[in-house]
Amino acid sequence: MASRIDLIMRRPPIRDAARGCVSGQGGRLEGRTVLAGGLVAVLLLASAPAQAGGTLTVGMTAGDLPVTTGNPDQGFEGYRFVGYNLYDSLALWDLSKSDKATDIKPGLATEWQIDEANPKRWIFKLRHGVKWHDGCDFTADDVVWNLGYSMNEKAPQFNPAQFAQARPYLGTYAGVEKLDDHTVAFTTKAPDSLFPYEISYVLMVSPCRAKEVNNNWTEYALHPSGTGPYRFDKMVPHQRLELIPNTEYWDKARVPKQDRLVLIPMPEASTRTAALLSGQVNWIEAPSPDAIDRLKAAGMKIVTNVYPHNWSYQLNFVKGPFADKRVRQAANYALNREDMKDLLNGLMLEEYATVPPSTPYYGHPMLYKYDPAKAKALLKEAGCTPCKVTFAISTSGSGQMQPLPMNELVKSQLDAAGFEVTLDAMDWNALLKLTREGVDEHPTTNAINVSRQTQDPFNALIRHVWTGAWAPKGSNWGHFSNPDFDKLIDGILSEFDAEKRLGLLTKLHEMMNEEAVLIFVAHDVNPRAMTPEVHGFVQAQSWFQDLTPVSVGP
Amino acid sequence: MTDYFSVIPAKAAPGLPGRGTVASEARGQSGGAPRAALDPSPGGQPLRAVPGIRGGDEVIYEEQALPATRVRGYWQSVFYRLRYDPVTLVFAAIVLLIVLAAVFAPLLAPFDPYKESIAGRLKPFGWRDHPLGTDELGRDMLSRLLFGGRVSLLMGIVPVLIASLVGGMLGVVGGFVGGRTNTAIMRTMDVFYAFPSVLLAVAIAGAMGGGMANGMLALTLVFIPPICRVAETATTQVRALDFIEAARASGARTMTIIRYHVLGNVLGPVFIYASSLVSVSILLAAGLSFLGLGVRPPVPDWGLMLSTLRQSIYVVPFVCALPGLAIFITSICCNLVSDGMRAAMDVRM
Repeated sequence: MASRIDLIMRRPPIRDAARGCVSGQGGRLEGRTVLAGGLVAVLLLASAPAQAGGTLTVGMTAGDLPVTTGNPDQGFEGYRFVGYNLYDSLALWDLSKSDKATDIKPGLATEWQIDEANPKRWIFKLRHGVKWHDGCDFTADDVVWNLGYSMNEKAPQFNPAQFAQARPYLGTYAGVEKLDDHTVAFTTKAPDSLFPYEISYVLMVSPCRAKEVNNNWTEYALHPSGTGPYRFDKMVPHQRLELIPNTEYWDKARVPKQDRLVLIPMPEASTRTAALLSGQVNWIEAPSPDAIDRLKAAGMKIVTNVYPHNWSYQLNFVKGPFADKRVRQAANYALNREDMKDLLNGLMLEEYATVPPSTPYYGHPMLYKYDPAKAKALLKEAGCTPCKVTFAISTSGSGQMQPLPMNELVKSQLDAAGFEVTLDAMDWNALLKLTREGVDEHPTTNAINVSRQTQDPFNALIRHVWTGAWAPKGSNWGHFSNPDFDKLIDGILSEFDAEKRLGLLTKLHEMMNEEAVLIFVAHDVNPRAMTPEVHGFVQAQSWFQDLTPVSVGP
Repeated sequence: MTDYFSVIPAKAAPGLPGRGTVASEARGQSGGAPRAALDPSPGGQPLRAVPGIRGGDEVIYEEQALPATRVRGYWQSVFYRLRYDPVTLVFAAIVLLIVLAAVFAPLLAPFDPYKESIAGRLKPFGWRDHPLGTDELGRDMLSRLLFGGRVSLLMGIVPVLIASLVGGMLGVVGGFVGGRTNTAIMRTMDVFYAFPSVLLAVAIAGAMGGGMANGMLALTLVFIPPICRVAETATTQVRALDFIEAARASGARTMTIIRYHVLGNVLGPVFIYASSLVSVSILLAAGLSFLGLGVRPPVPDWGLMLSTLRQSIYVVPFVCALPGLAIFITSICCNLVSDGMRAAMDVRM
């Protein structure tokens, strides 16, 4: 078959046909014949068996293509499909296993350690022999340049859009210096034992390419250059992005096994399902739970795994009923999470604590199992009857699962236990704005329903309860504050021994449950559906996924 | 043509005190018929114009007094014409049924529209006691559709009503006063025209936040400019006519002229135009709810129901289509009734 195609490709009928059509030269009959020949050739090409690795076409949930200039937008989906594919960070996430929680591993840095003389200085050893997609060598100068690119507004290469993306992860970053060609030192504003996790979200872009395009980031977005396992091939803005394997990738085990990766934004779940069923794509993110049976009936593979995600409510600790711990506990006792699981066709894990049980610092938290009688008793004890609360919710959004039916069920269950819930539904971006602004700007809102990633210890635990992370500066929306918590968090950030730090994190997690700092509802299991031709995918317990082992073929 | 007045060629009867198409001709066929023309003659006898002898291009008319009993009043003629328009009547009956069903929803609904049952979610037509199946939370679809109709009709009618009052008033003032006032009002309206209505509604509702009141306010603001423009056009055309001059010459005050002579001629076009907006309002309201900018969940609303049920289209496709069907039937019926009314009221938009 292949030789036949080669034969056809070497002959010039397609070009002739084109000329016949466009210029009208040649006899009419000849033109038709040639055109028919061309069509046959095209059909043969189309029906040819896929090449070894095949093309992986992904229907993403994002509303637009993530930006390609380093740290992407479109939430962690942008990191998953564009960020960690085109680029690398100093520390990468180990996504090779599905049966254990993910942790960071060496990336562009081979090792890192705290400066023994200065607990605010981290030393990172960089990997040798790494090349950018444009052929330049990766060195310590590039790391310094990149921190200027995203964090130093006085640097000529400073990109404000990148600053907005990187800033949330670099709250303690103070500066960076080159020690030698393959060593850099980072300084932090305060001791920060979790800094390597934070730097894992900062992706490195090529200074060589930036120089070529004269720091024109619009131009750079069309010719991005990183060190990642994929190279940019082409893009139709807002429609599709095509990446090809970087065969020179420094980690030979992660050179992509497919020939091409095509990313298509498809924000509507039903559209993604239809696209998969019709063969437009061979992989979709987050199909609707109710479409799973239909997809299975069509022979599609459904992959799920628990991952560091929680669908919960952050509470207002300043004003209103949730300032009282008993009311918070009552809300947790009032929820029948098994019903919620049925609502989602089984595609969730009941959430009883901030992080899923497979997390290393899960410990033995106090669990609020469904007990409506206890909920009623606690509300009565707190003197909140009926307990009127307003929840700010969104109608859709990244990681929000099925926000409307889920919130309606929560309201129904809480109302049955003595609450009187008002659901204030709004657009996803409006909810994000409300979340960023914090409780001071929105004192009448008693809770917000924003799904959170709990990928690393800071984002999983600390940001919810640390006084230093009060909104609008951080993610502690409801201004939770407790001296015991702050003391423990200071201890965690100053503890550079991983074992000891794990013990402190476990304690913090248990304390958060005891205080019922969230209304715990669900952990998503990140369903994705793919055609039977997609092979080799291992779904890690992470927001990020490694697509490099995936191949497409019969 | 049974309508007595409509056979009068307009151009031959300028200022004729009979309900003819005089004004509509003078206005370039964009408005309705002047109500002032309906007024009885000063002698108490209504005047009648009849076609006379055709002479050259001119049609000559002669006037003759008729007994008052033979004249059919304006609204009588409207109803007379409606009686012989079965299409409008059938659709009006359907609209009436929908309205009654919504009003008496608490009596008609077999279940509490908020009572969920996870075990009974997404069931097809006729499952147990649920003739139209159940939704994604196991709530009875029939009950939710009945209650949803209340919201949809409210969102369809109230914004149009308020916009008609405000827009109509602004249009009449702008049209009658003219000059800078007209420029100020109409150019302000033009600013709103610069945005597509859906986008404008979404932007306003998005900026003010969700909820039924904000949704209605957004729709009202969207409808004011077009209604204002219709009223202003009608008023401007009527203002130049002789009977207004006559009223003014006879010492009538401005408010009297507006009340008796202008409003009578403007209300027709505004009413007809506004009635055609009801279906648009229902659709826009459903769209806002679909986007989460309308009513607050779990209040049943057709747009919101469609939005959440679309995820379950592979499980119970027909149940999921019901809210869309309800929106479709209601809006198309409202539109056809509006069309019928326009024909019956002889308003040309």
